[in-house]
Amino acid sequence: MDEGTSQYYFTASMDSGKTLCSLLKAIQFQETAVFCALPEGLKLTVEEGKCVQASAYVPSDNFTEYHVRDDVDVMFKISIAVLAECLNIFGSGEESSLKMYYRGEGSPLLLVLQPQSVNNVMTDCEIATQTADSVLELRDEDAEEVAKLVLKAPAFLGLLADLERSCEVFELNLSPEHPNVSIVTYGMQDRSCIDMPKSSDMVQSFSCESPVTLRYQLQHIRTIMKALAISTKVVLRCSSNGLMLLQLKLEKEDQRQMFSEFYIVPLLDD
Amino acid sequence: MKCHVPGPNVKVLARTVHALARFGDELYLESLPDCILLRTLNAAESAYAMVKFNKNFFSYFNYNYYSTEDNEGLKCKISMKSALNTFKSPTHIDKQVENLEIKLDPESCKLIFQLKCRHGIVKTHFVSILDCKAMQAVYTKDTVPNRITSPQRILSDALNNFQSSDDQVTLEATSMSLILRNYIDCSADLTKIIRTQISLKPAEFDSYMIGTETVITFSLKEFRALLTFSEALNLPLQLHFETTGRPAVFIVHNGTTFEAHFVLATTKADNASQTTTTQNTNIERSKRKDTSGTQGSAKKKPHLDPDISKCLDEDSHLFNFVDIPGDNEIILSNKLNGNHSINKDKTVNDLMDCDNIPASPAARTMIKSVFKRCFESTFDPRSIQGAVLAENSDSD
Repeated sequence: MDEGTSQYYFTASMDSGKTLCSLLKAIQFQETAVFCALPEGLKLTVEEGKCVQASAYVPSDNFTEYHVRDDVDVMFKISIAVLAECLNIFGSGEESSLKMYYRGEGSPLLLVLQPQSVNNVMTDCEIATQTADSVLELRDEDAEEVAKLVLKAPAFLGLLADLERSCEVFELNLSPEHPNVSIVTYGMQDRSCIDMPKSSDMVQSFSCESPVTLRYQLQHIRTIMKALAISTKVVLRCSSNGLMLLQLKLEKEDQRQMFSEFYIVPLLDD
Repeated sequence: MKCHVPGPNVKVLARTVHALARFGDELYLESLPDCILLRTLNAAESAYAMVKFNKNFFSYFNYNYYSTEDNEGLKCKISMKSALNTFKSPTHIDKQVENLEIKLDPESCKLIFQLKCRHGIVKTHFVSILDCKAMQAVYTKDTVPNRITSPQRILSDALNNFQSSDDQVTLEATSMSLILRNYIDCSADLTKIIRTQISLKPAEFDSYMIGTETVITFSLKEFRALLTFSEALNLPLQLHFETTGRPAVFIVHNGTTFEAHFVLATTKADNASQTTTTQNTNIERSKRKDTSGTQGSAKKKPHLDPDISKCLDEDSHLFNFVDIPGDNEIILSNKLNGNHSINKDKTVNDLMDCDNIPASPAARTMIKSVFKRCFESTFDPRSIQGAVLAENSDSD
């Protein structure tokens, strides 16, 4: 970029906004997201009632151009629905190149989209921004990691999709003994249990030193399903305070990767 | 009791549970020395289903796994919702599930379904037992005079022509044809009703035996469910029925491993109301079209049975005959259709209908019938000037 644009807090361009758009839709369970441009990449964070925090993270190597001013914090609140809609403005069948500009605090986010198949067509979008609230810091540095699992995303999605919706509690039992992973759901009268040994081909890696039982609200777990549907791999980490971190990897055709990340707060014992 | 169901048969079991779920809210399971019976009854107690899985349906079958003294057989009742939860998405279940184990311990209060799935995953469902009673319906299927064996598609294709709001179907069985029509409640608003009638020839069926000609009316919801079941398993459907008021039995079986009986109550044909509606339209029609042919039927007394059947016969003039090549003959009719008594018109209709093969008969035929006269080649707009044949029934 020339000097004219260096006054911008943040500029980025990308050949296709399609994957970014589907990633945004995967975490679109709240109206607004915190948009944060870091030197390493772009991160959008959505929170639900201080229980679930979801982020879409796009490393800077996904962009053909990526500039962030290093002397300021580039962070603002934006409607994620509007942003996703703008990225998809030429319809889902159309690949369009994308440029993003953000001049400075209080100014709108500018998007310039150009469809690849049609010449001389261009859309200029301006999305109003708001000053960001602080993002919840759920990670506790003192709490150590008690278990880590790497799973194939499509198979894990199939598993979650089969869980009875009316159940409220999702209980995860992890143990070094067989069966290593066991998911229990409690319905009105019935109990269902899914056992998954670490030898299963949907488990790519498993590490757990001592048995642990964690309970989450099933509805919170279900928020990851849209993101699972577009991902290839999921890393599940549990820390000693019960906090679950799910990192989902999305691989694009050009071998570059985008990520989504979910922090889920456990249910406490009565 | 403990048994193992191999992968392909899990799909059959899943289809069964889904079919039974459209009958009743509770599922009765009974284990006998050589078979397992699944039964259900709907809330109104007008539909009953029983599916029997023989010993050879299972890859392992141990009736007396828990070595109890009880010789009566194990029985339990579970909620249908729990059963459905165990057998989700029957279309894909055979690709995911390798083996299913069912355990019923007389001492326990849980029925256990254990599904061994792909990727080495084991899903276990502990289903609460609600009751330990069995339930059985009494019906005859072997000594009935009327028996039809139908290929799986014919009847469901025929039913596709009915409106989704139709809740009962009348089946008129004669040795010449099998006529299906929607049952019209006498309280319904006649101007808003579409009457559908489909006539199937005996040649369409694998076997066709009518000992006593009869007319039976039964619920469409359960009939659709059992047709879906027979179609999903690609097995023919056997109809066994007697006469109105006696249950109709529908049988799907593959000869060796399982046999399903679906029993539907038939209601006493509400002859008076059905024919009154016919009469009413005849009267309306004679008002609209001042033709001598309809006046005769308009004078008929609604309560006389021979007249009624005659009326129905006459009614067949009303229907548009739509010949679908290679398919069954489908006759659709509309209450609003006013053209019927002029013979000249009829031949023109027939000619026109031969050229016109509607893709979706129900909707298109209706519109065509209402305004049919306008589309006929003999129609001359000048001829209707001054003479209003069909007056507006309402000011609006």
